[in-house]
Amino acid sequence: MNSLLAIKQLTIWRQQTQLLSIDESIQGGEILSIMGPSGSGKSTLLNWLTGMLPHQFRAQGSLFLNQQDITQIPSHQRHIGLLYQDPLLFPHLSVAGNIAFAMPNGVKKHRTDKISHALEQVGLGGLEQRNPANLSGGQQARVALLRVLLSEPKAILLDEPFSKLDSQLRQETRQLVFNQIREHQLPAIMVTHDQSDTDAANGKVINLSSQENTYA
Amino acid sequence: MIKSRDFFTQAVLLSPKLLMALLILPVLGGLVGVLLPAFGYIPALNKMSFSLEGFTALFNTPGFCQMVLLSISSALASTLLAFVITTLILACYFNSPWLYRIQRLLGPILVIPHAAAAIAISFLITPSGMISRLFSPWLTAWKTPPDWLLPHDSWGISMILGLTLKELPFLLLMALGALSQADLGAKLRAQHKIAMSLGYCPMTAFFKVVLPNLYPFLRLPLLAVLAYASANVEIPLILGPNAPPTLAVAIMHWFNDVDLTLRIKASAGAIIQLVLTVILLVSWWLLEKLTKRVSQTSIINGKRDYAGHLVMRFTHATTFILISCVVLSLAGLVLWSFAGYWRFPASLPDQFVTMHWHNALMQMHTSLINTLLIGFAATFIAIIFALFTLEAEQQRAQSLSRFASLVIYLPMLIPSIAFLFGLVWLQEQVNSQHALFNVIFSHLLFVVPYVFLSLASSYRRLDPRFANLAASLGATPASVFWRVKLPMLMSPICIAFALGLAISFSQYLPTLLNGGGRIDTITTEAVTLASGASRRVSSVYALMQMLLPALAFALAWFIPKLLNKYQHKA
Repeated sequence: MNSLLAIKQLTIWRQQTQLLSIDESIQGGEILSIMGPSGSGKSTLLNWLTGMLPHQFRAQGSLFLNQQDITQIPSHQRHIGLLYQDPLLFPHLSVAGNIAFAMPNGVKKHRTDKISHALEQVGLGGLEQRNPANLSGGQQARVALLRVLLSEPKAILLDEPFSKLDSQLRQETRQLVFNQIREHQLPAIMVTHDQSDTDAANGKVINLSSQENTYA
Repeated sequence: MIKSRDFFTQAVLLSPKLLMALLILPVLGGLVGVLLPAFGYIPALNKMSFSLEGFTALFNTPGFCQMVLLSISSALASTLLAFVITTLILACYFNSPWLYRIQRLLGPILVIPHAAAAIAISFLITPSGMISRLFSPWLTAWKTPPDWLLPHDSWGISMILGLTLKELPFLLLMALGALSQADLGAKLRAQHKIAMSLGYCPMTAFFKVVLPNLYPFLRLPLLAVLAYASANVEIPLILGPNAPPTLAVAIMHWFNDVDLTLRIKASAGAIIQLVLTVILLVSWWLLEKLTKRVSQTSIINGKRDYAGHLVMRFTHATTFILISCVVLSLAGLVLWSFAGYWRFPASLPDQFVTMHWHNALMQMHTSLINTLLIGFAATFIAIIFALFTLEAEQQRAQSLSRFASLVIYLPMLIPSIAFLFGLVWLQEQVNSQHALFNVIFSHLLFVVPYVFLSLASSYRRLDPRFANLAASLGATPASVFWRVKLPMLMSPICIAFALGLAISFSQYLPTLLNGGGRIDTITTEAVTLASGASRRVSSVYALMQMLLPALAFALAWFIPKLLNKYQHKA
């Protein structure tokens, strides 16, 4: 089945002023880039997409994920994964614990095998029981990515996901994340400041300040 | 914010209202329960008409004016003294590592129950106390204890000393807490440096630049301290004058008198106590405005040094004396608890015995169990309420209303003597006869504000993205709360738990009144023993009072470390 994330005629207001207005559909494996200066409403849009829009804002429009209207569904039932600029690994859980927290319930043996396999795939084999605080920045970013992917999301949101990594690591991690998104055929929305991110995403770009759509 | 409709979310969203009711009803009900008898309405004594006889009796009590004056002067003097010394210490050591060393030395006093602190100070200053022993006979030539009236002096000096020593670390901690807020602390320190580069001496720079911006953070703690000092019972009972005592102590005696008609006078007294505390708070506020008005011109008069060197020396000396007082009091307490025969001018006992500890420990197990049971029950409930209320705040994505925060701190600001008797009456009305339950409930009122205060900042500071992220991974709100937030907040929760225990351990009045005198805890026993009985047994109880909260804090520090190790054993 081809997955699809559709934002239908969304308008968000802060008090009486209109902040943004979007109407977009993202196919599985496609990455929609959102650019714009701070205050242009990037994080407000992400909040709306995750169902966490604060009271001060008002929104009209609807969100469809694979033909299902999820506009009024609480965050934890939306199956939309989130990747922030910080890895935000839970400090009280091990590397494997962080990933297991995200995975659907199931047979324990099956779950641990899956975790080990996934860790090996990204070059982190054997680190299951490590304290995430003792990993390098790049390793933490990879664990955070595995955590989102193994939660089996139906779409993924990236909130300036690479901005805290140095340039070498940045390119590698970005390649890894984008490859995984395409491999899993997930619709993705990426908020970023960096032109090189949007170039690499190779998809549609929305510039929130000007509200003009351009194609990269 | 799209809310989830599961049971957990509903329960969480309901808990702030429940907490409000839990705090407002007893406090307001308690106030009503004092107000009615104050105006002569006591159905139990067949007095059903309103009159002012309680107030007439009160005003005709011999020494009434002295009681009121004593309450006012001791509260004002101790708060002012504690505030002045706090600012002097801050000014003197503002850029020195000694500031934090002093805080570390004085900090433990915070969790010492008032009763224990008062006992320790009374042993320091009595005629045969540590001070006169240390300076005799080589300096004073005393062979027998001097004939002075400390403690219990009629001026209330011992009492003021006790209150000051207890309030000072609290104010210092609040000031340092404000300074440790990243933006404020860095800004004030930079501005202090600018003032010094303009030629201001460090002391003047502190008073003209830092203090005006720091004071707003100290205002509420100061008012709380003032309200507490004006109505406290334990310290005046152990250190204050007896004839007449402070108003609060007199009220307590009248309430506990077998002559039930005295309750009318006592209730009238409780109302006067309330008015007195409010007057004190308003006076402080006026004093603050006045000081601000007066100092407006001197701040910008360009004078850069007000004998800063002398003031600094004075502060060094004061700080030294303060810390010596604390160390000596504690040392004295420990020595007394192990002392066999101890001649007067000798600084050390002739022999050391463990008998007092042995005997006391044999006798105290009932009160120890009560203390722990009440403490754990009250703190546990308080923690649950505080956590759920803070979680509700995040679920609704808006912070607690000003009214709600005020209500949470209500038991801290309203003198307990003014509403506890009413609460006892209220508990009698609803026929709640289980003494232990009544005590736990009354402790809860005093534990909640501290637990909430101590949890709120860490709970609100927790990066919200962790919760968002867990939710995006499919975790329900309940699962986010139990499996992400609580484990991440393990340290602050343990600290709040220890603080709650320390507050409960130290409660005297609620235990005595709401338990109807039937529930003994270490604290009530210590206060009883302090007046009379053996100084040695009394020391053991006072030390037990200090050891319990110390143990709680040690565990609060140790348990998260242990858990962390267990979680990451690989």
